[in-house]
Amino acid sequence: MAAIRFDGVSKVYGDGTRAVKELDLAIVEGEFMVFVGPSGCGKTTALRMVAGLEAISAGRVMIGERVVNHVSPKDRDIAMVFQNYALYPHMTVAQNLAFGLKLRNISRSEIERRVRDAAAVLDLEDHLERKPKALSGGQRQRVALGRAIVREPAAFLMDEPLSNLDAALRVQTRAEILKIQKRLATTTIYVTHDQVEAMTMGDRIAVMREGVLQQSGTPEHLYTRPANTFVATFIGSPAMNLVPAPVLGLGPDSLIAGFRPEHIRVEPAPDGAVGFEARVEVVEYLGDEQLAHLRLGELALVAKLPVQERVEPGMAAAFAVAREAVLFFAAETGVAAEPP
Amino acid sequence: MSVFPLGRRRQRLHDASPPALVLEDDWSRPSVRWGLGTAHTVLLVLLVIIGLGPILWLAKSAITPTQDTLATPLALFPHGFAWSNLTDAWNTIDIGLYMWNTIVLAFGSLIAQIVVATTGAYALSALRPKFGGVIMALLLTTLFVPPVVLLVPLYVEIVHPPLIDHSFVNNYFAIWLPEAASAFNVVLMKRFFDNLPREIFEAARIDGCGSFRLFFSIVLPMSRPILGVVSIFAVLASWKDYLWPLLVLGNTNLQPLSVRLYAIEDFTPLGYFLAAMLITCIVPIIGFLVFQRGFLRGTGLSGALKG
Repeated sequence: MAAIRFDGVSKVYGDGTRAVKELDLAIVEGEFMVFVGPSGCGKTTALRMVAGLEAISAGRVMIGERVVNHVSPKDRDIAMVFQNYALYPHMTVAQNLAFGLKLRNISRSEIERRVRDAAAVLDLEDHLERKPKALSGGQRQRVALGRAIVREPAAFLMDEPLSNLDAALRVQTRAEILKIQKRLATTTIYVTHDQVEAMTMGDRIAVMREGVLQQSGTPEHLYTRPANTFVATFIGSPAMNLVPAPVLGLGPDSLIAGFRPEHIRVEPAPDGAVGFEARVEVVEYLGDEQLAHLRLGELALVAKLPVQERVEPGMAAAFAVAREAVLFFAAETGVAAEPP
Repeated sequence: MSVFPLGRRRQRLHDASPPALVLEDDWSRPSVRWGLGTAHTVLLVLLVIIGLGPILWLAKSAITPTQDTLATPLALFPHGFAWSNLTDAWNTIDIGLYMWNTIVLAFGSLIAQIVVATTGAYALSALRPKFGGVIMALLLTTLFVPPVVLLVPLYVEIVHPPLIDHSFVNNYFAIWLPEAASAFNVVLMKRFFDNLPREIFEAARIDGCGSFRLFFSIVLPMSRPILGVVSIFAVLASWKDYLWPLLVLGNTNLQPLSVRLYAIEDFTPLGYFLAAMLITCIVPIIGFLVFQRGFLRGTGLSGALKG
């Protein structure tokens, strides 16, 4: 395993599109780093620059102590899992797993051992002689993971590897990837647009938008201390409620107040808390909790409430949020601000 | 609403067939059922007559006594058989030698065309040289030049090849080299390579493939369908080529069947001649029947990618 470092890395395409802008980020050895952001934010481009599949326009990428800007993909000692599996269709599962090892002149006995071990870990032992077309989607993705594992590389690069699986399989495979990564302690960069995946998998998360790194940190840090309104609304589901501070009597026009849906309670505001009157528009029952969509003047808010709370569409009620749960952002820039 | 591709029976046999223009409800109408059914039958019979008729006539005539063929050439059944036509043709016309020449020419052309088409297309599609677009445009331009226009300049090139002070006349390279320079094959192959999933190429590069290894271990095995198509085109074109071998292969011991059969027509009994033609035709027909399923089915990419 090896640390990975971006030093002022930029990517500009021929047509002038700046996919990544001066990215500075250090990923420590053995860390599981998740790049997350909406489509077109540059997360996959950043990953592909580490893999050597995209040329770096400016800055440098380091794997371990080595600057790899001009090192070919095969010499970077990385393994990549693709969104679309990218298995070799004319090879069996065993041949798919062994292909990269053969190219590195690893002994036959060692190849057999690694393929056997990976197949055991990924529950592929009964499918080794099958071709990819005879496998289910989940099995194919496990083969793609296995192809990375057998290499025992310095780093895993994963480009939305679960996005083609159904919901149940995604949860199961998510856990498998985490177990494998923890067991091997291999530095991993994992790209996803799904903030739930990012929150549940990453040791740290790097949130990107329009090619710019917005914030990096642990899931808890990003959730509780977002650097700006973009991170605040992108991380967490449902998104953080953002309200102009004066609406809640919390400060000047230049500030936006933000609070998470789970911090809203159905009660008149006790002393020191923030209160507001809102009308319930829709209630989504989720079994263990319910989401109440509220209307506060022109603003739409969401409250995550216990199912015991009696809220009905159309009713008007008093809601409260603990003062310490409210975060503040500059209205002009969206950057986190000190409380007034 | 479900639809029938051609008819009810066919719908049952090929449920996965794409929908056709004639809907299930239309097929229930007698006028459509009878009208289209009759049209299908007539078309099928016509196609069989046009496609198979000449070959069946040749097969019949090859084993018919020469006098019988001359007297009633269009008779459906022969008046007596002359199986000896086949052995006599083989022995007296020396078909074995000319067939061997034809096979060598065809497979030499095949190899030359495959090598040039695959490497050229790979370079243009995967390696993407700086002026690849210009090269591709030039290749496409050559497709618009009628082959007959090239006959004389090509002959001059073969007699006085550039850089080599040695004529290729009466040498099989006179056939193989021009065949290899087929722009059509390169364009066809490039179009196929362009559609191969790039993620697989990228996965292979990360796995450790250089450009050569990527070509031999990934691209070629994934290209079996198009290799099959080009192979069939190459072998058939070479097998039936007449004019160019006639020009560059003056030595009768090197000539293929297509040239030799025409040359001997005037002094060979018709029965022998037709038997020789049958033998000449049967080889590519059998070859096509044996290999066409393997060559033409599917793209061989299923399972590689999600989708």
